[in-house]
Amino acid sequence: MLKRKRFFFAILAILPTLAIFAYVRLYPIADTLRLSLFQWNILSKNKPFIGLANFRELMGDHLFLDALINTTIIAFGVLVLTIPMAMIIAAMLFHRTRSRMAGFYETAVFIPHVVSLVPAAMAWKWIFDARLGPLNALLDFIGIPMQNWLFDPVLSVICIIVLCSWQALGYAVLIYLVGFKNLPVSLYEAAKLDGASGPQSFWHLSIPMLKPITLYVSVVTLVSGFNVYAQAFVLASDAQGAPGRQVRVLVLDMLENSFRNYRVGYAASEAVVLLVIVLGLTLIQFSMLRERGKS
Amino acid sequence: MKNAYSKLKISTRALAMSTALAVTFLSGITVASAETLTVWSGYPEMAPFYQHVADGMKAAHPDLEVKVEAIALREHEKRVALGLTGGGQDGVTVIELSGSTATRYLENDLLPEAPSDISTFVKDPKNFGTFFSDIASSNGKVYGVPLFRGQGSLFYNTDMFKAAGLTTPPKTMEEFTEYAKKLTQRDASGKATVSGWSLRLSGGGQGIAEKFWTNLHQFGGAILVPAGEGKWKTDFANEAGRKALKQYLDLVFTQKSVTPEMPADADAFERGQTAMFIRESWVIGDIAKKAPGLKYATAPLPTGSIALPTNLYVAGEDGKVGWEFAKAANSPENLVWLLQNVGWLPNRAGIDYTSVTAKQPAFTAFVDYPKSYKFFTLPSIGPIEEVLTRVAAQLVVAFADASMATDDAKIDAFLKKTSDEVNTILDREGLLTK
Repeated sequence: MLKRKRFFFAILAILPTLAIFAYVRLYPIADTLRLSLFQWNILSKNKPFIGLANFRELMGDHLFLDALINTTIIAFGVLVLTIPMAMIIAAMLFHRTRSRMAGFYETAVFIPHVVSLVPAAMAWKWIFDARLGPLNALLDFIGIPMQNWLFDPVLSVICIIVLCSWQALGYAVLIYLVGFKNLPVSLYEAAKLDGASGPQSFWHLSIPMLKPITLYVSVVTLVSGFNVYAQAFVLASDAQGAPGRQVRVLVLDMLENSFRNYRVGYAASEAVVLLVIVLGLTLIQFSMLRERGKS
Repeated sequence: MKNAYSKLKISTRALAMSTALAVTFLSGITVASAETLTVWSGYPEMAPFYQHVADGMKAAHPDLEVKVEAIALREHEKRVALGLTGGGQDGVTVIELSGSTATRYLENDLLPEAPSDISTFVKDPKNFGTFFSDIASSNGKVYGVPLFRGQGSLFYNTDMFKAAGLTTPPKTMEEFTEYAKKLTQRDASGKATVSGWSLRLSGGGQGIAEKFWTNLHQFGGAILVPAGEGKWKTDFANEAGRKALKQYLDLVFTQKSVTPEMPADADAFERGQTAMFIRESWVIGDIAKKAPGLKYATAPLPTGSIALPTNLYVAGEDGKVGWEFAKAANSPENLVWLLQNVGWLPNRAGIDYTSVTAKQPAFTAFVDYPKSYKFFTLPSIGPIEEVLTRVAAQLVVAFADASMATDDAKIDAFLKKTSDEVNTILDREGLLTK
């Protein structure tokens, strides 16, 4: 009887939290799924059910497919660049933990993550500027031809990958640093006694033992990579002067369909595709890293 | 005694409560008597104008508080879409919208019809030509008050023209190319440092397609033309389209007199980084503020220009003060102020602007154009933004494809593909002519 009372009390206690969670997290997802099945124009009174017609249209929409390809390249580009770099930088910072400058190093790496995105992107826009940017000045100085960073279809995507990685790195390093601090010192001492070098310890001990951290960081990085928007928007936007090439990404396409074309149902179907992709990739990451972690 | 005391206590409490209620009620009346009007604009440079109109209304409405909220056009469009459908718009709001954008809201009864006095004012041909009153109306009913229009003309740097030995502005599109070649300034390696003719080649949104349409219009083409019975068709997968696109590609890839990464638009013109470009009249006001020493002139375009009328609509319960504001904005004094201080062209007829044009001759090209001048405007159809955005996305790809510059077949294939894409949108919306 007491157990039952305690159970009901526990349920009652978490009910408000569950209700808020359901309202702010689950309801929007469910509503997006519902909207994707309707011809839901933000302005029209008639919003008929059209089944999977939005999804069928998406498959033939070259702007959506461009956005999907660009977003996927950006998300994986950021992942590939961020994870190894974050791990190496975190290892270096960890070995400098007792240094007087440790705090400075950690802050320097973490600052890009807390800097407001728009001014940061504006600064990168200047760095990548084809005519006045320091990057092209450097290339010119060392005899490499200057590049149209923000206008070339390939280079403009690379610019976004660099900007996103620069921002994501600080957070990833911070999490890895926590992971490094929790690794058992005895294993490293044993490895040292067995004659293992620093890089060998890193490769054979740190990397395998940091798999749960890698799983977390890679999931977070990939998900935020798929949600890229502001970086692409700022690097290309400029009402006057020379704007950059607009790299079409999924969130931008959704916004355009929602608020410029008023096709909210269609934009919702894009959101559903994005959700399925991100969920699928997260599950794959979990299965890959968790299984190997167990073995 | 105790009973009497408690009765006194109750009545004292009741008196205090009723006094508090009365004070609250009276203060409510005081607050309600202060009228509040919000103005939503998509052009930040228009904010001082609306404030000027509000100041002029002070005599008749001493308690009127006007809040001018002028933000960038794309954000404004989002605000209007969400505000009118989701309830973000509160109280009486004067909303500035182009006629083509307003259509969707009118089709869905999201904006109210104008009262009869405003309707009479707008329909009076002495006030507005039918071109403007029709765009502010739907099915014969007036919904908005015309205010200003975007109309393009050529802006050219007279010092650069002189240095290149050019004495008159270009009169044909062929001359535009010739002039652009002569006006381009290059460094020792031959790389262009000052573009001969600044073209919109990159960025996001529909601006690229609008600018292309202006050039296409000079060759006799259009992105969309009416086909009767409310249906539309494309008119650019043809010789006019080929000539317009080829001119862009020729200047970018063959002549190399303009490239996507070069500074462009009004900013570039004001800094002397381009010799000429086509833009609306607001640039005159912008130059006066940012580059008052710039020596420049304006000229009409060879065939005609875009005329993109912007109207004022009123949303909210009892919008009387909103309509009054829209009418006050059209007073001769305010319209002269608008032209002189902001530079957008007022739509109202019969106003004497000579005090402004005498001081600033650059306005002449916008108001004194040839009789044969042909205007076009964006169609008042729901998916116009989608059509232009998709055409713009295709054009950006074309502007980066050097192989198209010398291959007419490739240009034709590109135009056909883009036309098919537009037709798909029109067909989906039931607007495509069969």
